[in-house]
Amino acid sequence: MMVNVQGPWSPLLGRLSLGAIPDNPIIAGAFVFAAVLGAVILGYLTFGHKWGYLWREWLTTVDHKKIGVMYIIIGLVMLFRGFIDALMMRTQQVMACGPHSPGFLGAAHGYLLPYHFDQIYSAHGTIMILFAATPILVGLMNVVVPLQIGARDMAFPYLNALGLWLTAVGAALIMLSLFVGDFSHAGWVGLTPLTEIAYSPGVGVDYWMWAIQISSVGTTLGAANLIATIIKMRAPGMTWSRLPIFTWTALSTNIIALTSFPVLAVALGLLGADRYFGTHFFTAGLGGNLMLYSDLFWIWGHPEVYFVILPAFGMMSEIIPTFAEKPLFGYATMVAASFAIAGVSWSVWLHHFFTMGAGPQVNTFFSIATMVVGIPTGVKVFNWAFTVYRGRSRFDTPMLWAVGALFMLLLGGLTGMMLAMPPVNYSVHNSVFVVAHFHTMLMVVIYGIMGAVNFWFPKVFGFRLNEALGKRFFWFFTAGTIMVFIPMYTSGFMGMTRRLDYLSNPALLPFEIAEEIGIGFYVVSIYYFVRQLYVSIRDRATTRVGADAWGSARTLEWLTPSPVPFYNYAVTPRVHARDELVWRREQGLEGATVAHYEDIPMPKNTPVPLIIGAFALGLGFGLVWRIWWLTDVSLLAIIVTVIARSFVRDTDYMVKAGVVQETERRLRRNAPEGSREGEARGGIDMFRPHESNP
Amino acid sequence: MRFTILDVAVMLGIIVPTAIITTYFLLRYRKTNTNAAYDPHWSHSNLIELIVWAIPLLTVAMLGYESYKGTYAVNPYDPRMIKTKTASAANPGSAPLNVDVITTDWQWLFVYPKQHIAVANELVIPRGTPVVFHMTSATVVNDFFIPNLAGMIDVMPGMRTKQVLVADKIGQYRGYSANFSGAGFSWMGFKTHVVSSAHFTHWIQSIQKFPRHMDYAQFNKFARPTTNIDGKTPAFSHVHARLFDQVIKGVLDGKVYTTRMPPPGAA
Repeated sequence: MMVNVQGPWSPLLGRLSLGAIPDNPIIAGAFVFAAVLGAVILGYLTFGHKWGYLWREWLTTVDHKKIGVMYIIIGLVMLFRGFIDALMMRTQQVMACGPHSPGFLGAAHGYLLPYHFDQIYSAHGTIMILFAATPILVGLMNVVVPLQIGARDMAFPYLNALGLWLTAVGAALIMLSLFVGDFSHAGWVGLTPLTEIAYSPGVGVDYWMWAIQISSVGTTLGAANLIATIIKMRAPGMTWSRLPIFTWTALSTNIIALTSFPVLAVALGLLGADRYFGTHFFTAGLGGNLMLYSDLFWIWGHPEVYFVILPAFGMMSEIIPTFAEKPLFGYATMVAASFAIAGVSWSVWLHHFFTMGAGPQVNTFFSIATMVVGIPTGVKVFNWAFTVYRGRSRFDTPMLWAVGALFMLLLGGLTGMMLAMPPVNYSVHNSVFVVAHFHTMLMVVIYGIMGAVNFWFPKVFGFRLNEALGKRFFWFFTAGTIMVFIPMYTSGFMGMTRRLDYLSNPALLPFEIAEEIGIGFYVVSIYYFVRQLYVSIRDRATTRVGADAWGSARTLEWLTPSPVPFYNYAVTPRVHARDELVWRREQGLEGATVAHYEDIPMPKNTPVPLIIGAFALGLGFGLVWRIWWLTDVSLLAIIVTVIARSFVRDTDYMVKAGVVQETERRLRRNAPEGSREGEARGGIDMFRPHESNP
Repeated sequence: MRFTILDVAVMLGIIVPTAIITTYFLLRYRKTNTNAAYDPHWSHSNLIELIVWAIPLLTVAMLGYESYKGTYAVNPYDPRMIKTKTASAANPGSAPLNVDVITTDWQWLFVYPKQHIAVANELVIPRGTPVVFHMTSATVVNDFFIPNLAGMIDVMPGMRTKQVLVADKIGQYRGYSANFSGAGFSWMGFKTHVVSSAHFTHWIQSIQKFPRHMDYAQFNKFARPTTNIDGKTPAFSHVHARLFDQVIKGVLDGKVYTTRMPPPGAA
């Protein structure tokens, strides 16, 4: 019943053989880089005696803040990987433009073979959407949402850690594909029937498919968890009408995730059945229907777009009022707009294949549905503008990013409205104009994320990121964005198709050169980002902050000490207003301390999610290479682990009131002017190991 | 094009003022400007709420109506479209020319069924005559696109799509596949020549004398994976009368023109 695949197969190693290791100088270079980096990290862990610390404080943790930080680290690493892919693509296109372009290293044009180039852009898309943007956003929601609603942790801390490790497994599979075997060449969307076994007999599509499948189980679990947390874990007084906007967008986002990721799982599951069992769901012949895949994929894929952009809107809605020192304009409409966007997101997916040849009735319906999304989005822009009106704006780094996101949204909105019109769409669909449009929209996400990272960093770690370097990062990044995407819009309008390995039209060369320069600006901006992190960590003693890191913060999370102790709130706060911190400031309650501490029940650390993750990696790897004994053992081990864990009753422990009191005292004393003595116990301090939780 | 200009104009009419107002607010109400009023509690106004909902709502209503009109106006399945197109062309009243388009990995085959000829990677059409394209793919999905003449339309295996165009000006145009279809995709362009009617008749006759015939066996050879790096344009006479339908039937029966791929791991 299994499909016969070409090439040798053995029971022990499946399709895996030495030939699977690519013989390519570019990949060899990447491997050396990864190996050296890995050796440095392993050496540091071993000789610095950090293994125990890493295990206790991070690998087995169920603390939502640490899980969030790990999500963000995974996302940033993958963001860097995805950027390197982009750099390679831009370089290929600038080299392979015009009929007499050079062919290095055996390539027909440029320096990359077509088959290799196709894998790079497929990896770029898959990584940026699913393994960079999604984990960073989930990470930020993980860190911020429980704090914003006055909760001690997520509703299901153990499930939260499991979601993290499944996401990590997906990312690991993608990184593995770089060195063992190859990656899908059929785009991040998995174009059928190109992904079918007849046209993609290698393991590339399998890597793509299983990496997404496993990580999206993690995302779905995370979504259920966040929804439960927001609905059930709010502090007393945190009514729906007082919920911070970021939490509102997190709720709408996760409703999208919980309802759309299962559709993706089904689409990929059917594709997997085609590839492994020889069914014909999406083949061109024998009863298959390839457009059914497009339908299913985009029923997930378009809501996913709003899954990534709604939290960015939430971040902007937190940052702009803080730095404008004024409440958000039109709170109720902001909430309504978020849910309107989430709702309409379900009825627009067909605009991804307007050119399929559907009748004008169908295309008109989806055209207008797509445009309708512009209404609540437009409202949001106006509301942010009126938030600034009669405020007192300061342009700290987070504010710069938030305002940058607003302008990106204006440009992306303009081009989005163009694409939503079928007559216009027919001439720019599948062109780099579309690529430039959705990159502009994803820039809203990236700008929001960078703003949010700068904004909430002091809350999590207790000190601020360097302002001067952060601003330099922002300006170089913005220069890169303009230089890359304005030429891309133009060449798209001139008819340049996307996913080209070779450009036969020499008229496009000037645009390609401009884009390559833009990529150079991005490289410089990344240097400043890394330098910002390095300098900030080095000088952390001088940039300590108090509970309210910005002096004008508005929402509940700025009430706890920075860094936030592992139990979040010593005593569950009572919420009195939408902008609780402003209310307390005005009532003169800012410095109020807790009179009476109580014991706090907290979840215990557990290695179980990490173990399940490790077996999931075995499962994914076995499936990709068709090593059946490995898949069977891994699957069985996962099931046994899950069952065994369900018998564990002793999952919580008590933090004694005295310990809470002592921790709070230390943390409060550790405010800006305070000396560094008495490092907070239990707060996130990844730069100095300390004893584990009792 | 008209719709693009309209859309951009309407959207710019909203976006430019918004950008200017936002920038003005940000600068005027900056912290260092002590002259500007500061109202730390103002966060609601029914009038402004009404306006901020009304502007995008009306814009979308208007653009939505235009989109509806435009989508119907360029629908290739509407027979009236040919009439409208021809009326504006140089050669009104001419009978439409049928061209069957078949894509393979990675070539274009243009079949002129009435004339019994086929040309690969080169399309020749007469000026001012409506051309009706019937399209299908022998392997994976491609996208028929001549930026200056015809919008994109998917070319799908086992399925048929349609496109209609009338070219007003004699000249050469670039055509592409716009939907990624595998390693040879970047070279999957085709030349489009718009010629005078006389020239076109002459060209048909010259191709009809070509020695190579396009029967189904020949098609099977032709459809083997070929990256058309040097822009080869082979021509065929005596085309099998129902080649287009035969190709679709083959695909529906599960026929695969094997794409040779490197074995797993060979990048």
